[in-house]
Amino acid sequence: MSGAAVPPGKTGTWWFLASEIPVFGGLIASYIVVRLGSAGWGESSAHLNFTLALINTFLLLTSSMTVVMAHAAAQESDFRRAANYLGLTILFGLGFLGVKGVEYTTEIVHGFTPASGIFWSFYYGMTGLHGLHVLAGIIVNVVLWIGALKGSLAQNSHRVELAGLYWHFVDIVWIFLFPLLYLA
Amino acid sequence: MSDSHTRHYLMIWIWLLALVVLSVAAASILPKTQALVLIFAVAVVKALLVARNFMHLKNERAIIYALVLVPLAFIIILLFALFPDFVYRG
Repeated sequence: MSGAAVPPGKTGTWWFLASEIPVFGGLIASYIVVRLGSAGWGESSAHLNFTLALINTFLLLTSSMTVVMAHAAAQESDFRRAANYLGLTILFGLGFLGVKGVEYTTEIVHGFTPASGIFWSFYYGMTGLHGLHVLAGIIVNVVLWIGALKGSLAQNSHRVELAGLYWHFVDIVWIFLFPLLYLA
Repeated sequence: MSDSHTRHYLMIWIWLLALVVLSVAAASILPKTQALVLIFAVAVVKALLVARNFMHLKNERAIIYALVLVPLAFIIILLFALFPDFVYRG
């Protein structure tokens, strides 16, 4: 990169993401330690719906691609196109939450609640916190999408990149939650 | 929008999906321990692909790397600090 300073908004966003690392990292580290320390409890993960989690993985990875496309479009002041990609990102995000909702419902109907054991406490805690992050990202993207449609985004087009950084972070968290909960 | 950017992002996306297929295949074919090693190695590669390409970390300055690496280092220290629990007790 050239000698230009990092814009304050970008440093701020990365600073915020850095503070998010211990939030999810602490949970994941505790999960690994507790799981390795007690035999057998991983069998609970066999009750999770692997197919739905796979669909969600596809949705979130794809939404990372569409949000970076929105950033590229905004950089070139093509706000029509940026709005389309932001719209797609929002849809993928809502799809993710919808699928997660179906998963939670099925599990609760089968009697698996956060009180069903340590695996389920971790499962609902980690995916719930992650889901809230997806929801927050959707809200930010909706605000940007409206701005792109109304034309007001032109003065603040760098915000698409900052929102994208957050969205990718949430995607990376899922990249680790998926194997930890569904594959291991 | 420049085509080279679009192509690059699409290629990364295809790689990410291919890696998902790889880890799912590993989980169903390989013995447990080997599968786990491969699955988590693949997760790290996927995270790096997203961070370096979609988050443009590969063009970012050292200060941004420092911001990310310090908390990551603390998490790894935390993890190892708790290891004696299940290594000696489990």
